[in-house]
Amino acid sequence: MDYQDVRPKSQAELIFAAQLRKNRQFRLNVALSWVALLVILALMFSGEGNLPFGLRGIKLDTQFIAENWSFIAAGLVSTLEISILSIVLATLLALIAALGRLSTFPPFFAVSTFYVSLIRGTPLYLQIVFFFLALPQLGIILPGLWAGVLALGLNYGAYMSEIFRAGLAAVGKGQREAAMALGMTARQTMLRIILPQALRFAIPPTGNEFIAMTKDSALVAVTGFVHELMWRATKVGRANFRNLEALIIGAVFYWIMTLILTALQSRLEARMSRGDR
Amino acid sequence: MAPIVRVKSLDKYFGRLQVLKDINLEVAPKDVICIIGRSGSGKSTFLRCLNFLEEPSAGSIEIEGLSVSAGGKGREHRQRVHDIRLKTGMVFQEFNLFPHMSVLGNVMEGPVTVKGMDRVAATEIAEMNLDRVGLLFKKDEYPNKLSGGQKQRVAIARALAMDPTLMLFDEPTSALDPELIGEVLNVMRKLAQEGTTMLVVTHEMGFAREVADRVVVLAEGEIIEQSEPDELFRAPRDPRTKALIEGYRSGVRDEDALPRGPARRRT
Repeated sequence: MDYQDVRPKSQAELIFAAQLRKNRQFRLNVALSWVALLVILALMFSGEGNLPFGLRGIKLDTQFIAENWSFIAAGLVSTLEISILSIVLATLLALIAALGRLSTFPPFFAVSTFYVSLIRGTPLYLQIVFFFLALPQLGIILPGLWAGVLALGLNYGAYMSEIFRAGLAAVGKGQREAAMALGMTARQTMLRIILPQALRFAIPPTGNEFIAMTKDSALVAVTGFVHELMWRATKVGRANFRNLEALIIGAVFYWIMTLILTALQSRLEARMSRGDR
Repeated sequence: MAPIVRVKSLDKYFGRLQVLKDINLEVAPKDVICIIGRSGSGKSTFLRCLNFLEEPSAGSIEIEGLSVSAGGKGREHRQRVHDIRLKTGMVFQEFNLFPHMSVLGNVMEGPVTVKGMDRVAATEIAEMNLDRVGLLFKKDEYPNKLSGGQKQRVAIARALAMDPTLMLFDEPTSALDPELIGEVLNVMRKLAQEGTTMLVVTHEMGFAREVADRVVVLAEGEIIEQSEPDELFRAPRDPRTKALIEGYRSGVRDEDALPRGPARRRT
């Protein structure tokens, strides 16, 4: 560029530049440490006999890994399928529960708080098993996938209702007043003014819940009828007495999936925070 | 001219605290009435009672022959409140623009959602009103891209787009940086000249003096004095009015004169 800023830098600019440098250096150091940790982890499972400090690497059955990783990886589809269905259900339930929490109509408020209390007061694992094993006794037979989705959706919905409640509460009361002053009905105010803004607040934390859900979906393996990551890992692990290898493969896939989703999530968050506010 | 707004014996309680006492007010068409008073005198509450953002405790409000009494319940009362709101446009201290809608969207929202107007007609009305406040060129921006003064002018256009009988201004310049107050007052001045009926709660004494047909002074929830601005500012009758005006003159404005709420800036 032919234009150059020749003004001497102000004190504030110098401090800012120094801080940027410091941040960059810090991030670089963290990245290097991560690489070192990964190398150590890899060495630990390398089977290498002569590690420093007289340690011996753990020997993994590489042939088993080569033969079975793709079988386990195929479970990713199912894992994502459960997670997506469940997050949709959870979002709907959370929204309704949040509206209930803010309702002045006692029965609606009561149903909402009762639901949240009951679900948060019992283990997710129990809920999944309940929908799969206990409901058939009442004549309600759900396929494993749907038992899992129902349990995960209900469970996450209860926790996520707090997110939506906060989102609704974050919309200032001036917004409601402005809408009412224009002559909007309560319903129009909610649908046109409050909800769109509340959802903007709620989208990033909902992304976080989705990431958590991809991992909790492993619990659905207990039904034995949903062939997601966890089910496949335990299946081949047990059959060949290679649980260590199988579970490591499973863990790696969960981890990679989480890393990718987290990266997507932070981009989403950055975009939302830039939004038109 | 026969009044188009009649407020009769309006009372308002917050719990046991009476914030408005027997307010009676008549407004003729094209009148500009400024309401002044100290912080906590009830002037904003009074304005908010007129479109039932606050439900009055007693009394009645009549606008263009449509009368609503306090304490009503049920569907018919709600319908009347709705109709009153259609006859009034309100401008808030904090603007309260809808941040998820463009400037044009903000102004179209009332005509489209409340009046059920088709988008073409609503766009035309919105653009006309944005032009009135001098912001047609900003129609595709979002509110976060506007200055405070511009936001308030869009808020005025949004209220005007509903073609109200009466415009209510609740301290429209109190949240603005000093250098932005002028542009909003100019728009209001223009509206007054065009014959808009306006009730303005304000601390801008210069504006009140210049534009108002009548100045109403509230203290402790009561109208203590009302007269033409020249007379009121020259020879206030009530000592409280005198103290209020002198406070402004000496530049020691009461604390209420400063912006309140999130938009307040301390430097």
